[in-house]
Amino acid sequence: MDIPVLDSKISPAKAHAIFQQEFFPHMDAMYNFALKLTNDEDEAQDLVQDTCMKAYRFIHSFEPGTYAKAWLFRILKNNFINDYRKKSRGPSKVEFEWVEQSITGDEDSEPAYQADLQAETVNDMLGDEITAAIQALPVDFRMIIILCDLEEFSYEEMARILNIPIGTVRSRLHRARALLKESLATYAKTKGYV
Amino acid sequence: MKTNCTQHKECLQVIQRILDKEATAEEVARFMANKDQCLPCQEGYDLELSLKKAIKNNCSVSCPSDLFARIKTKLFLVLILISILIPLFC
Repeated sequence: MDIPVLDSKISPAKAHAIFQQEFFPHMDAMYNFALKLTNDEDEAQDLVQDTCMKAYRFIHSFEPGTYAKAWLFRILKNNFINDYRKKSRGPSKVEFEWVEQSITGDEDSEPAYQADLQAETVNDMLGDEITAAIQALPVDFRMIIILCDLEEFSYEEMARILNIPIGTVRSRLHRARALLKESLATYAKTKGYV
Repeated sequence: MKTNCTQHKECLQVIQRILDKEATAEEVARFMANKDQCLPCQEGYDLELSLKKAIKNNCSVSCPSDLFARIKTKLFLVLILISILIPLFC
C-alpha cells in the first residue's frame, strides 16, 4: 500500500472528518466522471481510488468550506491526464465512431454541418442512446459536457478544473454540443426516429 | 413570425449561456423578447433545453458500494498508520 506523505499540519482525526463531511458526499459524482473519462469500470474504480489517496496527500491545500467537489474533480482530471489517458478505451458504440473522424480544424471553428435535430427527437431517444453518443465524443468534449450539463459547474469553475481560459471553456462547450447534436441527428436518421 | 434567423449562430451561443445560467440579465431579457418572434430561436431553445435535460437525467451512475468500502478501509488504515508513526518522528 502506498503511504501518503506525512503531513503534520492536518491531524489524522481532522483528515478523517474532512473526508467524511466534504469529500465522501461526492463519491457518486467522482465515479461517474471517472467512468465517463475512462469508458472502463475497472479503470474508473482505480482512478477514483487514486484520486482519494491524492486528495489525502494534498489535503493541507484544501480549505474546508470551499467547493470540495471542484477541488476533487481537478485532482481527478489531472490524475486521468497524467496516468490514465493513454490507456483509456475508445468509443463503446460503433455507430458513433464517425464523430471522432469528423473532428477537423481548431477548437474555435464551427462544425461545418448544422445538425438537423428537433427537441421531440431528443425526447424520444432512450437514455442509453444519449449516453452512447456522449461516450463517442473525444475525451475533451465529453469532459466539458459532463462538467457543465451533468455536474452543473459554472464556466469559471470549469476553467479552474480544466486549467484553461474561460473563453476556451465557452468555445469548447459550444463545439462539443454541436458535435453531439450532429451525432444524434445522424443516429436518429439511421434508426428512423425522423 | 420569422422563419429564418440571420444571427442564429450568435443566438445559439446566447441560448446556451442562458441555460447554463451564465448569461447577463440584459442578454436574457433581449433574447426572451425576441424568441416569440423567431421560429429558429424557439426551436433552438427547445432543443438545447431537451438535450441538457436528457444528459442530466440519463448519464448518472452511482459509485459501487464495494469501491466506496474499499476506499474507506484504505484511508482508515493510512490514518491509523500515520497516527502511530507521527509520535515516533515528533
